Amino acid sequence: MAKFTAKPDELSKIDFKPPKKGWMDTPVEIKEHMFCHAAKPKELDVVGFPNAHEWRPNDEDWKLPENWEKTLLEGMRDLLGKYRSFRLFMDICVRCGACADKCHFFIGTGDPKNMPVLRAELLRSVYRGNFTLAGKILRKIAGARDLTANVLKEWWYYFYQCTECRRCSVFCPYGIDQAEITMMGRELTNLIGLNIGWIAGPVAACYMKGNHLGLEPHTITSSIEFFVDDIETITGIRVNPTFNRKGAEILFVTPSGDLFANPGTYTAMGYLMLFHELGLDYTWSTYASEGGNFGFFTTNEMAKRLNAKIYAEAKRLGVKWILGGECGHMWRVIHQYMDTWNGPADFLEEPVSPITGTKFENTTSAKMVHIAEFTADLIKHGKLKLEPSRNDHLKVTFHDSCNTARGMGLLEEPRYIIRNVCNHFQEMPEDTIREKTFCCGSGTGLNASENMELRLRGGLARANAVKHVHEHYGVNLLANVCAIDRATLTTSMDYWVPGVTVAGVHELVGNALVMKGEKERTQDLRLEPFPGKEGNE
Amino acid sequence: MPTIDCEGARIEVDEEGYLVNLDDWDETVALVLARREGIDEIRKDRMDIIKFMRDYYKQYSAFPLLRGVCRRVHQPRDCYSEKFLDPLKAWKIAGLPKPDEHVIGEIRGEGGVV
Repeated sequence: MAKFTAKPDELSKIDFKPPKKGWMDTPVEIKEHMFCHAAKPKELDVVGFPNAHEWRPNDEDWKLPENWEKTLLEGMRDLLGKYRSFRLFMDICVRCGACADKCHFFIGTGDPKNMPVLRAELLRSVYRGNFTLAGKILRKIAGARDLTANVLKEWWYYFYQCTECRRCSVFCPYGIDQAEITMMGRELTNLIGLNIGWIAGPVAACYMKGNHLGLEPHTITSSIEFFVDDIETITGIRVNPTFNRKGAEILFVTPSGDLFANPGTYTAMGYLMLFHELGLDYTWSTYASEGGNFGFFTTNEMAKRLNAKIYAEAKRLGVKWILGGECGHMWRVIHQYMDTWNGPADFLEEPVSPITGTKFENTTSAKMVHIAEFTADLIKHGKLKLEPSRNDHLKVTFHDSCNTARGMGLLEEPRYIIRNVCNHFQEMPEDTIREKTFCCGSGTGLNASENMELRLRGGLARANAVKHVHEHYGVNLLANVCAIDRATLTTSMDYWVPGVTVAGVHELVGNALVMKGEKERTQDLRLEPFPGKEGNE
Repeated sequence: MPTIDCEGARIEVDEEGYLVNLDDWDETVALVLARREGIDEIRKDRMDIIKFMRDYYKQYSAFPLLRGVCRRVHQPRDCYSEKFLDPLKAWKIAGLPKPDEHVIGEIRGEGGVV
């Protein structure tokens, strides 16, 4: 595949003119740079997914298993029986179109099948044709159609062009959760081996080794050792994290991207510094070494299996509760699904901050606290000595992660932290933040390289809002609390809004945190000199 | 299986030019691999990076955190940047197998690792 080279000027010219024919008569066109490579069979085999086979999305023949139509329709019947939400969402949409222009993929592509209503209709039409009387009799008049190989390709292409961000759901008068529809769509594709490599790889690695990259225990400790060295260079203090320590009060779990990928690694340094300063009785685990859950982008059952590992490890170590790092979809899983899959985690205690005594009553069942809640509480109680002027060279805006904002209502805490560790904070326009936040454009395992056009188109809406505050208020830093954001917004900013850096909130905390016994700080967490301290290295 | 010629010896590489057997590597092989990447000579400071990557891989089966590499070989912290030595080329010259696609995405700045 040729490398994607289109320039921003070219890509931002979006054609919103719909095709001449109706959507059912407009066949799907699988376009380069808009889709991810197929999953490798060995990655699906590891977790026991059925019908793993070699295939390529842009080939005519997808080498589908025998009786694939029957498998899919039976699968659909099964899902309709299992999830009332799915049946409800198939039945109640009145196609008002309130969601149509709310999707970042529609905004960035102009493709009508990326209107959430129509993306859902791809599935709904087959539902009507097979599971409703009106659809069976009236066929196309009732919006019904048969399941054909082309319809399946359309499902696959568009259900892997949805990041399950749920922005459309905010505007739906019926509250239809489009993410749940995409999840069902993806469950179905997994019945016949049509996953993508970018999801199947991390799922297999996480299942076997505990994290998306398949990092082994000694590799994890080695990576954190690098951070410890850097922290010592910056502060003169050698922090001393522990691993797999039984009897620790708190288990800390973060996305493994924080251990390997910039700028997440700087966020991880912020965690280490904060915990050291607090004298927190906590441990990392090299077995439950992944906060993220790419299983969530395949099937509910797979997500449940991966989620269970964190709780099994908490039980093994005998901790009281779990503290979780800056991640997005990890928190949708914990907040909205964990309890019915693997909960209640009643072998753990109700989380109480050992520093402030605050009870985190919002998580009495999952027993897992988001680090933004934890740190905001510390600041509120005056437990941290902060020097926000160290971040004075930064003009910060905050990107709400879809999952923490819409999936758990974490809106104020990150902002409260940023306002306390930075002197310059500027919100993006209100239709693009909080519950109405725009997706980074690369969530749900779509953060690959081969689908770069899709990612950049999907990222345009967010980037436009950043561009606005960059141009009007000089914003030069986009803060967030999500590993996928940290990894993919960097790419999006470099493309759409050069000059804006991406950082996790706890990187900013680490910069501002005054630690007992530290030397004069001349460098930030990236080992860049603070402005005015260039000569002091 | 394709091979490369190294002072008369035939050494196996895969379809994309990654060395097949880790132990077939020495500094002479490194130079042959480097030439295939458009690099004519390997200065000592670059060879130190390459050797560190090999040692790290042998111990940890992973791509090292890049800024950690520079610290360990006592070089400026941008020692792995393209100006000095593209880390993916360094990896290949070090005779190591093709990295995971996520790692490649991350090193290229495309956001592969989350």
